[in-house]
Amino acid sequence: MNFFLLKNRIIVFCLIGLITFFSCEEAAIPVKDDGIPMKLDTISFPVIKAMSYQVPPEMGRTDLLYFGNKDGYNFSYNLIKLDSSSVTAGTPFSFYNDSLIIVDSLKFSLRFDSDSIENNPEFQLRYFPDGGDSVFNELESNYINFDKSIASTFISTGQLESDTTDTNQTKVFLNFLLDSSIVNAFRDTNITDFNRSFLVELKNEESESFIFHSSDKVGADGPQLKVYYRQFVSDSVVLDTTFRTYAAIEDLSIIIPPPISTDDSSYLSVGTAMGLKSIVLVDMVDWILDPRAIISSAELIFNFALDDTLQNYTVISYPIINEGDFLQFSSFDKDPYDEDFNYYTSTSIVEDKLKINHRKIATEIGHQKYNNYGFKLEPSISNDPFRTMLFYSIDSPDYFPVMRVIYVLP
Amino acid sequence: MSYRNIFISLLLLNYIHAQSVFNAYGLGLSKSGHYTATSGAGSIGLVPTFHPGVSLDNPATWPGLKFTYISGSYNSRSVGLDNKNDITYGNGLDKIQFVIPIQDRYAIGVSLKLVNNHNSYFKTDSSTFDFQGKNLITNKEFRSGGGLLAGSFGVSFPMNEKMGLGFSVDRLFGSSRDEHSLVLNDIHYRMFNIRTYSGTVMNLNFAGNFYNDNDLIVLAFARISMTGKPVSGTLYQFDLFEDRNDNYTYDPDDYPATVNVDTIEVSDIYAPNSFSFGLNAGFRNDLNIFGEFQIWSDEASSANYESIYTDQIGSKTHFGGGIVKFGNIGARAWQDKLTFRLGAFKESYGLKYSGKTINENGITMGIGFKFAVTGNQLDFSYRTGSRSINGDYKELVKGFNIGLSLGDVWFLRRREKQ
Repeated sequence: MNFFLLKNRIIVFCLIGLITFFSCEEAAIPVKDDGIPMKLDTISFPVIKAMSYQVPPEMGRTDLLYFGNKDGYNFSYNLIKLDSSSVTAGTPFSFYNDSLIIVDSLKFSLRFDSDSIENNPEFQLRYFPDGGDSVFNELESNYINFDKSIASTFISTGQLESDTTDTNQTKVFLNFLLDSSIVNAFRDTNITDFNRSFLVELKNEESESFIFHSSDKVGADGPQLKVYYRQFVSDSVVLDTTFRTYAAIEDLSIIIPPPISTDDSSYLSVGTAMGLKSIVLVDMVDWILDPRAIISSAELIFNFALDDTLQNYTVISYPIINEGDFLQFSSFDKDPYDEDFNYYTSTSIVEDKLKINHRKIATEIGHQKYNNYGFKLEPSISNDPFRTMLFYSIDSPDYFPVMRVIYVLP
Repeated sequence: MSYRNIFISLLLLNYIHAQSVFNAYGLGLSKSGHYTATSGAGSIGLVPTFHPGVSLDNPATWPGLKFTYISGSYNSRSVGLDNKNDITYGNGLDKIQFVIPIQDRYAIGVSLKLVNNHNSYFKTDSSTFDFQGKNLITNKEFRSGGGLLAGSFGVSFPMNEKMGLGFSVDRLFGSSRDEHSLVLNDIHYRMFNIRTYSGTVMNLNFAGNFYNDNDLIVLAFARISMTGKPVSGTLYQFDLFEDRNDNYTYDPDDYPATVNVDTIEVSDIYAPNSFSFGLNAGFRNDLNIFGEFQIWSDEASSANYESIYTDQIGSKTHFGGGIVKFGNIGARAWQDKLTFRLGAFKESYGLKYSGKTINENGITMGIGFKFAVTGNQLDFSYRTGSRSINGDYKELVKGFNIGLSLGDVWFLRRREKQ
């Protein structure tokens, strides 16, 4: 048989097959929901215990650094730690140990959050020459556990200055000029990873607040140190002065919150600057979830208690891994409730309700694989730290918190 | 065109059969006939429908073939509901067969055929309810596909001048899958099951000429099918998951983070046994009238093998009859080469656990055209009917089949040269 004729016939048959295939449509046949598997079920669990508590404010991840006083908050001082290597070039402080390097001066700067200067108080700077390799922890240090006395006496003072280098935008900086000898501490050869930390404070008590960019603020100018130096190429030839920039890698406002209000302690409250958190216990005892079921949602629902239109306030929640004290409002020097980070959830308030979906941990509890000690609520770092959220607690007749579980069974 | 080209082309045709809700009971509805000529007469394959004295589905009749045949049958089917406009379509191969008659007395054949139709796709209406202020809209969807295939080998041999036997072994194999899903506020919660099958069925066929004069020939046919090795299988049962991106498969975007698969070995899940009987009266003008009866049961001891419905088909009876007017290949006029078929049948399926009955009724018609000297035959058939369960749910079924049989001369006595 002619090869081309044979080939054409095969192609025709294949096309018939494909056309037949694509001409067929598949539509579901509607049937009654009778005798077929898959079931949707729901269950509601009451919150039987709930309490707020206070810990020292955890301001380490906030976008801004605060000085002065505001709404009863006292911003005592700020702690700032620098990177060990310079920006871009990656120059370590040990670079300045070379006898051919002469450090001329240092400038430590903080970017003011406003582009204008209304009141220009004096700030002062300290450092920690005897602090060893570690002075503070951005996530743990607070006004109770940090000993300010380990800092040096002030080594520089500074004031706000406008920088008009950028013609499109005026920036205001707080600049401290430092003696070149300060770098000697940072390049100390006995301590491999020296603390490279500063303490910044207002020289005098101020009634207003002054706010600066933190290293956590995205796209902003965090605190930084500029080291100006010259380098000798030979005994008689020296290069022009140049500089390296060392950015802050940790910074923290140490603040003292105002006294707790009645609302703070009677409602379920969360607030960063107040150090307010809450714990709740959901009564899920004796609940057994079918091993093959899947939870669609296990929403722990709280009703917002303020007459306020609120948007984008986010609350973080985790199960706690030890017994909670639900008897009365308490203040602690350190958060006594450890979280299980495997079950972290972050939820925003929508239409005055906070609905935290805890389906992962609810599944474990339903499978009897997890001890239910309760859940912790705390504010997210993305919120305004000075905003305290109040939610109705279990004593509210209409707006009490509850957990509603929706699950699917095969 | 060579056999090889036909075969390749047939394989490229797709393999999707029209779904039915009833296919979600156990392994689904079993097929009564596999070849287009058989379907055209509404037969279960016992009585002659392909050629005078020959049914391609009955090995005992194969020695009556004049030529070696390779044949294929393809169906297209629609299933709709009685009172709604929902119609579903499907199509696919029913059977591929190769039969060699040997000296008008013996025959051997091999075939690949579909045993069960497991294809289903159905859903429930959406329902809405309030859960403490949260609006929940939900419905369910189910799909199943695949099923049992049989690779069959058959032989036939004479008992005496008027009777013959055919013996065939069906090697059952295949796989099926089903998907259960619940839709909650547009999010699908899916669960998959995949099953594999393996087993054997043996068939003993009988064909006999019990009366023969110039005006009338009475033929009787019977078949006993028995399970050689009950079908056993492996069930791969996937955990339920939330298909967040609605792509039908589990992936890292879905919930939960891991999904387990249980592998379960199950034996004796399908053990079909049946007895079939048929009578055919052939008249001098090539007109044949036939009647058939079949009782079928599934004797498997294992409980439901995780089909969508928690019930399965345990028995079946078939009554059918019709007329066949065979064409004459030697006729001059093309109209006289045509074979006409007309039939009607009633089938009842009994469900094992609920005791409910699925009733199916249908009428069929078909036409066949012989061409070329080797007895090639092109067959078409159409069927229409309905099936319902206890009068509660009713499907309207329409089907169109096309079959092509190409003949050649193998192992036949050749006329000696004069």
